Amino acid sequence: MADQGQKNRPDPDKLLQLAARETRGKLTVFLGAAPGVGKTYAMLLRARRLKEDGADIVIGLAETHGRVETAELLDGLEGISRKQINYRGKVLEEFDIDAAIARRPKILVVDELAHTNVPGSRHPKRYQDIEELLWQGIDVWTAMNVQHLESLSDVVASITGVTVREIVPDIVLKRADDVLLVDLPPAELIARLKEGRVYLPGNAERAAEGFFKPANLTALRELALRRAADRVDDQMIDLLRQNAIEGPWATGERLLVCVGPDSLSEKVVRTASRLASGLNARWLVVSLTQTNDAGSDTSQRLDKLLNLAERLGAETRRVIAQDFVEEIFRIARRENVTQIVVGRPKSARFANPFRRSLPDEIIKRFTDIGVHIVTGEEQGTPYVPPSMRKRTRLELAKAIALPIVATGVTTLLGLAASDIVHAQNLSMLFLVAVILSAMICGRLSAMVAAGLAFVFYNFFFLEPLHDLSIAKPHQLFSLIIFLGVALMIGDLAGRLRDQVARSRNQAKNTQALYEFSRKLSGTARLDDVLISTASHLHSTFGTGVVILMPYDGELSLQTAWPPDQTLDGTDMTAVRWAYEKNERAGSDTATLPQIGWQFLPILTSNGVAGVLGLSTRDRAALSENDDRMLTAILDQTAIAIDRAQLVRENAKTAALQESDKLHTALFSSLSHDLKTPLASITGAVTTLRQLGSRIKADTRDDLLVSIEEEAGRLNRFVANLFDMTRIEAGTLKANNLPVDAAEIILSSIERTKKLKPGIAIDTSIASDLPMVSGDASLLGQTLFNLLDNATKYAGDGPIAVYAKQDGPEVAISITDQGRGIPPKDLDKIFDKFYRRVKGDGRAPGTGLGLSISRGFIESMGGTIKAESPAIRKRGTRFIVRLPVANSGDEATP
Amino acid sequence: MNQRRILVVDDEPQIQRFLNPALTASGYEVILAATGAEAERLAATSAPDLIILDLGLPDKDGKEVIETVRAFSEVPIIVLSARDREAEKIASLDLGANDYVEKPFGIGELLARIRTALRQYAAGTSVPSRFEANGLVVDMVKRVVTRNGEEMHLTRKEYQLLVHLVLHAGMVVTHRQLLASVWGAAHVHDLQYLRVFVGQLRAKIEDDANNPQFIRTEAGVGYRFIAE
Repeated sequence: MADQGQKNRPDPDKLLQLAARETRGKLTVFLGAAPGVGKTYAMLLRARRLKEDGADIVIGLAETHGRVETAELLDGLEGISRKQINYRGKVLEEFDIDAAIARRPKILVVDELAHTNVPGSRHPKRYQDIEELLWQGIDVWTAMNVQHLESLSDVVASITGVTVREIVPDIVLKRADDVLLVDLPPAELIARLKEGRVYLPGNAERAAEGFFKPANLTALRELALRRAADRVDDQMIDLLRQNAIEGPWATGERLLVCVGPDSLSEKVVRTASRLASGLNARWLVVSLTQTNDAGSDTSQRLDKLLNLAERLGAETRRVIAQDFVEEIFRIARRENVTQIVVGRPKSARFANPFRRSLPDEIIKRFTDIGVHIVTGEEQGTPYVPPSMRKRTRLELAKAIALPIVATGVTTLLGLAASDIVHAQNLSMLFLVAVILSAMICGRLSAMVAAGLAFVFYNFFFLEPLHDLSIAKPHQLFSLIIFLGVALMIGDLAGRLRDQVARSRNQAKNTQALYEFSRKLSGTARLDDVLISTASHLHSTFGTGVVILMPYDGELSLQTAWPPDQTLDGTDMTAVRWAYEKNERAGSDTATLPQIGWQFLPILTSNGVAGVLGLSTRDRAALSENDDRMLTAILDQTAIAIDRAQLVRENAKTAALQESDKLHTALFSSLSHDLKTPLASITGAVTTLRQLGSRIKADTRDDLLVSIEEEAGRLNRFVANLFDMTRIEAGTLKANNLPVDAAEIILSSIERTKKLKPGIAIDTSIASDLPMVSGDASLLGQTLFNLLDNATKYAGDGPIAVYAKQDGPEVAISITDQGRGIPPKDLDKIFDKFYRRVKGDGRAPGTGLGLSISRGFIESMGGTIKAESPAIRKRGTRFIVRLPVANSGDEATP
Repeated sequence: MNQRRILVVDDEPQIQRFLNPALTASGYEVILAATGAEAERLAATSAPDLIILDLGLPDKDGKEVIETVRAFSEVPIIVLSARDREAEKIASLDLGANDYVEKPFGIGELLARIRTALRQYAAGTSVPSRFEANGLVVDMVKRVVTRNGEEMHLTRKEYQLLVHLVLHAGMVVTHRQLLASVWGAAHVHDLQYLRVFVGQLRAKIEDDANNPQFIRTEAGVGYRFIAE
């Protein structure tokens, strides 16, 4: 069966993963349930054994925590000394990643995978150091306790009551090539603790009492065992797939996890993660929204959530859909989902149709798929509407002061007008104050104003006056209505204001982006694109900007704005990181956060084209809004770079095609010009030899003459080619001396007449023609070429040759009376191999004569140009101008 | 016997300068044309027995001349060109030229080609029933091929291929022409068939298939059956 055959083939993806793993270093994790189980000891013991077998194993860092038996193991093992880092006046020791990479051992031992590095290190977290080491191809052994695993952190917290701060993403453990469980029964561990053989940092002593309880330890041990067991399963399945061994494979379970922007979703993701690893299933986290509000607060919450899911090993996907249930159904079918995980909050404080009805709808819709419902209180960071957050103190003060002033003024106005206006109508005035507050300072302000209006109105205008009590029941009713209306109007006006502010902000961003893209659209050259980008970013963020792109295999500074920006070695490390890993580096990132730059990769359709750097020395971190703006600008830049590169490629291709065309023309010309004389000679010679006896004597003579002539033609052509080569190679040196131009003109005419007997040439040379500075043989050849050219195109009329002095120059003109040259071709006739085309695409002559003439004349410091028409709308005139020789130079003949 | 008349079409005076006496001395009557238009006119009015045509003409492409002449006459055309481009040659042959000679050429080579073409033309449309050359006999009535008296077993395609080649013995036959006549018009681009069958045919009729005496390859153009 074909299907069967398919199944039995090794899974190519699995093999590829294996190949990738082979160039990458191998990660071995020694996993323990709790501190003190002996991970470091086990790791070092193993290292020693390997070392004795001759392995290249080096200790990058090992925490002995003062334990003697552990420290003893370090004897005889090569170690890398720790780096001293100055942090707030204290000197701290840290793992030296650069030294480790420089040493490049086969295997490196780096203890404490979950460690957080001292600020100022390259990466904030040790697992990132280790990731880089693996990436460099170094095998790493490391150790960690199960409670540091991200997906378990909340479970551990709920079991032990201790919140773990040092967290390792699950993906690190998942990608580890080997996980070794270091196990110790809880009773023994407690015994060791009592003997003081378990190291605990000072401040953890108190927590430890609660932590090292048999119940906790048993639970943690179970977690660790289960994780290690999962790993064994994973490896088994990988092995089966690589080797095309038929199942039973994994359960084949596939989880679909539906999340939204609510706070419960985080718990849903963590629960799903545990479920997935328990089932050994692949899981897909889908975020569902109804609109594409990229950049909004909701969207950022979802980003965070999906990032968490990815770290826990999920695939993630963002889906925009109107009908969530339908979309989930579609995804579930397409992805062969077997179980769905969805959250249902116990209390629905915020109206959210998705959350309220989704689980029920899903259960109703799916009959063959298991549905897990995660329930919970709203927890973690409660969702706060954006308008209530990020208010500075000044804004808050304003938001409270304004309603006080507004309602105060209204009260005074009301008191002044109380004689003419009925007290009941004054409520309208207070509504104005509420709306005003809402418009200017937002909803909070509106609420305050509504409350104050309620109090003032009651106090100053309702019987009994100056008292908060109310005399008449109908007034109580209208007062309550007033409060309700005020609150509603205030809320509406406030919303409106927020929306207006948001739109205005958005419009501003859009406008700026539009300006930028318009600026970019006018630039086709890469340099211009880069400079536009750098200067635009500089004016937008008021900070130094650099752009680096690869040049000759090295990333080098292409543009800087202001132009005096410099980068040091550490900066360049971050640049390379950003370029190679396609992720941000530098300040506010996980890589080299202490440097004064943030580097962002510029991702084009052809991969990372370069790196953009923003100086963070003279400004605070980018706000979320700035960051969005920056991302948008980067996208635009990437498109512009793509385009510029395309334009460049196109130009290159066009130039290549042009030169290709030239080459073709050149070869057809060479082929024709060389082969025609050769054909004549060969033909004539073979005729003479084979048929000579049958040919009359005068015909034989004619054939011999033709051989001589054709040989001469070939000779001239070859000479022309050599001249051209000399001109092109720059080896042509004119031997410039004062020469008699008249003599040279006459001898050239003589030569032409010999070749073309019967040609008519009118000559007129000024009698006072001075000597010119030039090379006699080059000038002679030039004039001959021009005359030869003229005879080819002469038509019927005679060729005219004139020479006279013209200021500091002597002008020699040669005019034919042929058809002339169209003005558009006049520039081209001096080009190499350019020939005016005949009907069959072939022209007489080699196309070299004029080109060589120009080369010669220019080497003599003269000029040559062509004019057409020359006389009565016909003919072409060539004018050669050569400098008059200084009388002082005049050499005696 | 009547003097054969050859129309020489070439715009290079130096080529005409030796062709004219050489052909005359070899017993042909020569008429000259320097342009395509003149060539077409003379081909129609002066009934040449053969045309020697240079592809590079001042007024039009030589291929156009072939097309025009082929519209009214089957007179043999031998193409002469300095342009040693395969595409040119093949196009000319496919348009109906009978053979080509590359410049520069010895007069002996040209005369040999002229004789072959004239002989083929004289044989006319009547297909010979028997062909014999250097011990290879193709009997087209019995459909039997013998080599030094020994009967060869050819497949149908091999036989068709051989017959097509010997009917044009001495002249080049393009890949396209062979493919069209043996495999049909739909296969004119299936050069691979041809290579394979020519290889098989050579293995059967040649003494040494790597150094063929009968079927000679005209690189990039086609094959020529050598009868002499």
